[in-house]
Amino acid sequence: MRNEIELESIIEDYLMGKLSQAEATAFEQLRSTDPSVDHKVVAHKFFLDSLKEYGQVLSLKEQMNAAHQQMDTAQLTEELKPHPSLLINLWRKNKSAIAIAASFVLLAMVAVYSVQHNTKQNGSYEMMRRELAKIQKSQSTLIRNFKNSSKADTAPVRPAKFGGTGFALTPNGYLCTNLHVINGADSVYVQNSKGDSFKAKVVYQDPQYDIAIIKIVDKDFSSLSALPYKLKRNSIGMGENVYTLGFPKDDAVLGEGYISSRTGHAGDTTAYQVSIPVNPGNSGGPLLDNQGNVIGVISAKENQVDGAAFAVKSKYVLDALNAIPSDSLGRKTASVKRSPLQGLTRTKQVAKIQDYVFMIKVYN
Amino acid sequence: MSKKLSSSVPTDREVVLGILNNSEDALNKLYVGYYPMVLQFILNNNGEQEDAKDVYQEAIIILYNKIKGGNFELSSKLKTYIYSVCRRIWLKKLSKESKKAVNVTDFEDIEAVETDLERHEEKDKQFEKMQEALLHLGEPCKTIIQDFYIHNLSMQDISEKFGYTNTDNAKTQKYKCLQRLKKLFFGLGS
Repeated sequence: MRNEIELESIIEDYLMGKLSQAEATAFEQLRSTDPSVDHKVVAHKFFLDSLKEYGQVLSLKEQMNAAHQQMDTAQLTEELKPHPSLLINLWRKNKSAIAIAASFVLLAMVAVYSVQHNTKQNGSYEMMRRELAKIQKSQSTLIRNFKNSSKADTAPVRPAKFGGTGFALTPNGYLCTNLHVINGADSVYVQNSKGDSFKAKVVYQDPQYDIAIIKIVDKDFSSLSALPYKLKRNSIGMGENVYTLGFPKDDAVLGEGYISSRTGHAGDTTAYQVSIPVNPGNSGGPLLDNQGNVIGVISAKENQVDGAAFAVKSKYVLDALNAIPSDSLGRKTASVKRSPLQGLTRTKQVAKIQDYVFMIKVYN
Repeated sequence: MSKKLSSSVPTDREVVLGILNNSEDALNKLYVGYYPMVLQFILNNNGEQEDAKDVYQEAIIILYNKIKGGNFELSSKLKTYIYSVCRRIWLKKLSKESKKAVNVTDFEDIEAVETDLERHEEKDKQFEKMQEALLHLGEPCKTIIQDFYIHNLSMQDISEKFGYTNTDNAKTQKYKCLQRLKKLFFGLGS
């Protein structure tokens, strides 16, 4: 009995690491020689571990119970128990699902809104196309803003000038240009390729096709010789080479290209789409084909598409011309049966034309 | 629920470090922090407040042992872990009591915790065996054993506490108690 108590206390000390180095070695010796001692050690270790764990769990439970006491469990229960209302239960259970659904709805609304927004814009484009394309043209029309292009140090005496291009319809001073070039003008001056300025007045405006006809009323103006070109009434086909002369700067600039579509902006049948480099100031310039026929009036270009300019078909210029009393027009342009430019090289054609193309200066 | 949780829940890192350092405060915070979540789950799945307490405490013990065991990897959020463990325990209890929980109402994500639970059940058996053995052991043996092995009192303290004339007597008494307890413990169940 005594021995066993001794043995057990030694085993305990051994397991707890309380034995000295020598004692431990001696005990391990004993343990390896005596299986019964070894068995006792193993059993005791297992038992002690169980006891330790039991103690740990017990103290943990005590701690948790203490923590539990701190909480207002009754109130929590009240808050969290299944709610009698079906709706709130549904909400609690499906909070995340509802949140996802809600965000989808939101997304859908945003999407629908933006689509609507887009179609609305398209709609207004469409309207512009049918009526006049006023807004669109105010953005992308090719009026040159003198204020912007002129250098800051040579500030013009009269600010807020705009410029465009126009071309002669009759030798006696009727010019064609775009309505948006001269729109809102107090006074209009035209300047020929030699640099002479003449006063002009607006005699006809056609907002539907963005065409205006002005007449040089300056007494210094002497009649031109017969027009080298004629206005073509029929449409021409895609791929036709064309060129234009305009005043994006103070000297005339030639632009060459081809008809890229028989319709203009968003299917506008009153205009051609022309692949031709044009810049602010080109508006109102004549668009001529290889035979020297005026086939259109450069009016605008697409902002977001490269190389897409638009030209009002010459048919509408002729229509506009018909609205003016024929006796004041003098010799009619249409009387030219065969264009004198036909068969000439481009250089010669341009040389002949440039006297009939004017820079239009607008003061307001 | 989310209001309560977010306001008082300690970070996962805080909890793990706290438990490894035997911080009572960390355990308290952990306990208070996630109880509402478990309570809600139990209450909404055929349980009572008391069930919630039992299940929750079991889950905390599992978590505690897992962290203490050193092989704890924070593969998911503690919240998810605790919820998953509680859910598993509760479903088991329900099926034991043949209270079928046909549609479990879930409030959180869950993860697989089967192996942790199995290990825990083993340990829990040991715990219950020890508890029962100690119960059968009776006084003063139970207190002596607990004082010496759990509360780590010295034989000196024990002999004073129980009025033994010397520590040898106390040792002899303790030895006898331990032998009986061992018999009870190893004899029970297995």
